[in-house]
Formats: sequence, C-alpha cells, structure tokens
Amino acid sequence: MVIVKRKELSFWERLYLPEVFQGLSITLRAMFRKNVTRQYPEQKLEVNEVTRGQPRLAVNADDTIRCVSCGLCEAACPAYAITIDGQETDRFIEREPERFEIDMLRCILCGFCEEACPKDAILMSDELELADFSREALVYDLEKLKRPVSALQPRLDYIYKLSNRWNSSSSSS
Amino acid sequence: MSSQTTNPRTTFEYKPGVPAEYEDDPIHGEVMKLNMGPQHPATHGVLQLQLALDGELMRDINPVVGFLHRGKEKTCESLGWAKFFPHTDRLDYVQPLLNNVGYALALEKLADIEVPERGQVIRVVLMEVSRIAAHLIYLGTTGIDLGAVTMFFNTFKEREKIYTILDAYTGHRMNNTYVRIGGVYSDVDETVEGMLREFLEQFEAQVDEFEGLLTGNRIWYDRNRNVGAITKEQALAWSLTGPNLRGTGVEWDLRKSQPYSGYADYDFEVPVGTIGDCYDRYLVRVEEMRQSTKIALQALDRLAKSRGAAVLAEDRRYILPPRQKVQSSMEELIHQFKIVTDLRLPKGEAYSGVESSKGELGFFVASDGTSEPLRCHIRAPGLMNVQVIPLLAEGRLFSDMVALIGSLDFVMGEVDR
Ligand code: SF4
Ligand code: SF4
Repeated sequence: MVIVKRKELSFWERLYLPEVFQGLSITLRAMFRKNVTRQYPEQKLEVNEVTRGQPRLAVNADDTIRCVSCGLCEAACPAYAITIDGQETDRFIEREPERFEIDMLRCILCGFCEEACPKDAILMSDELELADFSREALVYDLEKLKRPVSALQPRLDYIYKLSNRWNSSSSSS
Repeated sequence: MSSQTTNPRTTFEYKPGVPAEYEDDPIHGEVMKLNMGPQHPATHGVLQLQLALDGELMRDINPVVGFLHRGKEKTCESLGWAKFFPHTDRLDYVQPLLNNVGYALALEKLADIEVPERGQVIRVVLMEVSRIAAHLIYLGTTGIDLGAVTMFFNTFKEREKIYTILDAYTGHRMNNTYVRIGGVYSDVDETVEGMLREFLEQFEAQVDEFEGLLTGNRIWYDRNRNVGAITKEQALAWSLTGPNLRGTGVEWDLRKSQPYSGYADYDFEVPVGTIGDCYDRYLVRVEEMRQSTKIALQALDRLAKSRGAAVLAEDRRYILPPRQKVQSSMEELIHQFKIVTDLRLPKGEAYSGVESSKGELGFFVASDGTSEPLRCHIRAPGLMNVQVIPLLAEGRLFSDMVALIGSLDFVMGEVDR
C-alpha cells in the first residue's frame, strides 16, 4: 500500500502568473515535436494480414466458390448479419450457396465467422472502408463478397499459424 | 382515473439553509430547474442530470440513467455463451479487453477450466494496458472539461500508441474481442512484445509529464481539491469500488485481495488516498498507471521466458479444435459444429469479479446446462459511481459538478448496459 502524496502549492505556483509562462513554454516546445496526427483520407491506416476487416468469401482459382453453405458462420455470428440459402451442385463439394448475404451495417467485424468456417471459405479481408448512399447497397450479396483466394492467402496463412494449437497431444474422440 | 403515483425524486423540495456567504445573494430563494445532458459533453456519455439550482448552488440532483440501455444482460441470455464476448467489449468501451477477461473468468469458473500459464500472463498484459488506456481517457476528458485542453491531446497521443499495439496484435484498435473461454485467441509474437516493451518503457516519463502539467497546476488544484469528498464509511455504504474507494484510504483491490489470473505473483503496490476528494482520486489513478506499467513489464519478462507455450486450454468440450485438423478429421469437424452451434456449460452458478479501471466489474452467470444462459448479470462499477453524485454534489456550486463527474469516472455504456 502506498499513500499518494497530496502536494501543497509552492509560493510560485500560487502566484499563477509565472506558471502561465511556463505553460506557454511547454506549448512552444510541443510545436517542434514530431507530428502524431494522421491526415486520414490521404494517409491511410496500414493494413496487413492481422487486420480484421470486412469478411469476404474466397473463390478458388477455377472460379468456383469454396463455401459449402453449411451455415456455421450464420450460427456463429453474434450480430445476425449473415443470411444463407444453400443449393445443390454437381461439383464434388455437392452444395454451394444460392444466396449469401452479409449485412455490412450489422457486421461488427468480430471474426467469429472466420473462426467457425470449416472450409476456409469466409475470411476477414483487409478492406475497412464502408460508405454508400443507401442501406440496401450495404447488404452485400455473393457478387460483392467474392474475392479470389490469392488476395486472401496472407490472412489464411496467418490464421493457420494462430490456430496451430495442442500439438503435443493426439486428438481425442 | 387511475391513481397516479408520484416519483419522489422528480418533485423536489426547496431545502432551506443557505450558507452564510450566499445569504445576501439577491437570486437566492429562486429555484431553477436545469437539465444537464444527456448530450452535454461534460457528462461523459449520455447521462442526464436533473438539477434544481438556487443561484449557483445545487439543491437537488437527480441523475437519470438508461439512455444507452441496450439490454446486454438479456442479449446474453438469447445469444449464448460464446457469442456474448463481442457484447462485453461494448460495456465499458474504453477497456474492451478487460471486460472480455471478466466475462471469460466467470465462464471458466462455471465450467471449471484451467487457463494455461502463458494465456494468463497475456491476459495480465492486456488488462494492464487496457487499464492504462482507460485512465488516460479519464485524465484527458476530465482535463478538457476543467480547461486543460493540452491534457486531452497528450493523453490521446499515448492512448494512440496503445491502440496501435492492439491493432498489431488483435487486428482491431477498439472492441478487440480477443479473449476466449480458456485463454486468449492468439499468441503475442515477438514484434508485438517489442512494441509493448517500447511503449511501457517510455510511458513512465509521460506520466511524469502529465503530473507536471496537472498536479501543481493552480486551476486543476483549486477545482479538484476538497471537491466531492466522500468518507470511508459512505464509500463503503454506497458500495463504491476501485479508485473511488481507494481515494478514501481503504486498501481494497481485487488484484490483491482476491487474486485472479495469477496476480498474486506480481510485485506491485495499491495506491490509496487520504480524504477521498477529486484530487485524491486523481492522484490514485495517476499512481495506478505507474503500477500498471510495472505489472505489465513484469508480465512481459514472463512472456519472454515462455515462448511457444499454449495460450488456450486444451478442452475439446468448449474450445474450437485447430483448423488444421478440422479439414482432415471427422471427430474434429463434429466438435467444430457442436461448439459453434450448441456450446453447453455445466449446470450451476458462478460469479467472478475483476478489478477494472472503474472498480469491481463482476459477471454473474447461471446455467441450466443448455446452450442458453439462464441468467447473466453484470455488476457495473460505473452504476455505483453515478449513484453517489447527489450525495457529493448537494449544496455545492454548479461548476463543481463537472469536476465531480470527471473524477468519479464512469462510462455510460457500462452503467446502462
Ligand atoms: S461456415 Fe464457411 S462453408 Fe459454412 S456457410 Fe459459412 S462460409 Fe460457407
Ligand atoms: S465478422 Fe462477426 S459480425 Fe461480421 S459477419 Fe462475421 S461473425 Fe458476423
């Protein structure tokens, strides 16, 4: 336990006027310090694979979508932002989304969908900016969400590194 | 006509007994009602204060809370255990990771999960850094309310450094959602460790600078000293916790008295004040920032020693399996589905409190064994801090209110939940 020391003002501090000049000198000194503010639209925040931006759907190199519309991301989403309708497909994965919508106005960029997805199909991109003229335009559909997997590869590698846990023991039932 | 019940707090009475120095004030005796807030910048959020003013004296104060009520407790009951984590961020939004840990601790107590050593150390670092960020907000906003505009810029400059580090670690600046049941989502790598160390090592000099600007500042001194003093007995009776209680001289810090996350192993002091006025609370918070720096540096030393160790408990009932295995093993895929869609915690009740920057932040969770929580109660320290405003402000000058609100330090997101 430490008892904080209550300071008593000295004579000079009580006079107030000298303190004003001391304060001004601090202000003057600060003028020559390095600038810490950012000129935002021109000077963007740096983004990298750690950035959790808006979720996007990965599309394979042969233009097929990875998502199998299992609905796990929909179930994991704490903001109820995702809506999925599935459909059958002839491809090996058998199912794919017919409709996949993320309401970007609801999305809180928590990354739970990415964590839940068993097919590495939904990934947090580094896209952060969000602006449009209507609410409807911000409900992103499949076309707006699709990104080639090459663009999302750094993030994919990163989350694989993160979830590399429990290596010591074998898998239990 | 139905009988109308009158709210005793809204029909205020003029209380006689004007201090001698205001006796001749021609305005005295004329009571004016004034609504301060909910959009007044000095109320630090959406707090409304209904004031009855007699000249410049506050006669009746009625804090109205609830403007930011989002039903967090009910939300938890409908969302389920794991999905509530992002919502805890938004309680006291200046220290999201601390809230995360508080909630996680309650769930871990309920489910009896042991967090691995390294996970605990990372949590301690995150909690202390969040505490520093929250206290910086206190200093900055209270400073700007009392006329020290420089403080706002200086503290936000430091806070920006913390947020840059959190951005590099969690991918978000605010609302990080990085704590999970059983540990933290990811390990702190060496780059982030280096950034943290660099920040913490220069931070003490910055605290000295803040103190240099405020502690002996005549305006700050006059406006805080002997304003809003609360006695030990009153503070305990109104269940104040945190710096507001410690300012009165009571040594009560959950990190010392009921250690969690391994706080017992760290070497730090609990700062306490003497008379419990705004000035004492300010001094306690400044000293706490120094102590937090000390704890975080000790934790960083531990992190350097335990590189590569697990940060999440290995418990397949509650924690998502590694991604690598989900793709190849049927069992792990079933676990993945089970945990995401239907995470069940054992039947029972648990309460766990952490020392947040505002006081004891407690989560009470009750489970009936299903995936839907039976009850989730949040003990928000800010609510208690708001409650004492009438007690401390009664009969004082109106301008003291701003200093008082600032120094009681509450965030409405948490008060209203
Ligand atoms: S969890 Fe993945 S695979 Fe399943 S629906 Fe969502 S994006 Fe598609
Ligand atoms: S990031 Fe979070 S809120 Fe956004 S869609 Fe994914 S789970 Fe939902």
